[in-house]
Amino acid sequence: MDVQEAVAESTSVASADDNGDAKRDGQRKFTMGPNDSLEGKLVYDGHVHIDGHAEGEFRVTGNLDVASGATARISIEAANVTVKGIVEGAVNVKDKLTLGKNARLSGDIVVRRLQIEDGASLNGHVRMGDIEQHPSGG
Amino acid sequence: MSSTRPAARAGTSTTPPGNGSDGAHRSVVLGPRDRLVGQLYIEGDLRVAGTVEGGLEVTGSVEIDGGGKVTGPVTARDRLVVGRDGSLRGDVRVARLVVQDGARFSGNVSMGKFVEAPPKPVEVVESEPVKAPEPVAELKPVTAPEPVKVKPPARPQQTRGKRR
Repeated sequence: MDVQEAVAESTSVASADDNGDAKRDGQRKFTMGPNDSLEGKLVYDGHVHIDGHAEGEFRVTGNLDVASGATARISIEAANVTVKGIVEGAVNVKDKLTLGKNARLSGDIVVRRLQIEDGASLNGHVRMGDIEQHPSGG
Repeated sequence: MSSTRPAARAGTSTTPPGNGSDGAHRSVVLGPRDRLVGQLYIEGDLRVAGTVEGGLEVTGSVEIDGGGKVTGPVTARDRLVVGRDGSLRGDVRVARLVVQDGARFSGNVSMGKFVEAPPKPVEVVESEPVKAPEPVAELKPVTAPEPVKVKPPARPQQTRGKRR
């Protein structure tokens, strides 16, 4: 059972959970539509897709996507994160962070793998897990 | 040869002799066996497949790939690409940034237009000298140069400048 403490302004936010769409790779999915908004703290066991507007803190065991056109002022903790919209806040990714070509991210990043497409905008500090302890053999 | 040649240890020349188009677009390559310790400023593009310890500042693009490894700050007026074999450790100030999957990168990133004063004095020199060439400021009643043939009698002169 997952813990969800979210103050959702829209009632249709968590609708995808009950749909057939929910279980793609065995993980549940929390989908916000373009008119949905969430303010608060969300701890979720599964994937999260953000369209619309989000504000607060998101801790997700699966992947988190911020769609194009979405704005998120959130701190993120997730396995993989894909940003196509606008994100302000610290991003902590266990595996991979992808910034799409229209992404705008301002915040500090801790990540293992990073992919930034041309056109994306990033302001913040990047720390990659591997590189710090790499003994520069050469 | 450019005057900014830092203490590169490798004897290999960093400029490919092929494109001798001076002024147009230069591109400098540091190959896998090249090593640079110090500051490098390039007007043009730079590709690093070797090792750099120090600061890079480039008016064009920087590409770190092919096992290239940079430790130090990077400023690129256009684009920085860290390829899948590239490694960069240092603060970055660029207009565009591409990081390919597999690349290693740590540092502070600031992106945007180059209008704030960066630490290097050498770069901010040309910050859009907005010099409008002074548009038509005076409206003069253009008196038509009407060739006066007939000499008018002694009356107050009447030019055609009267217009409403």
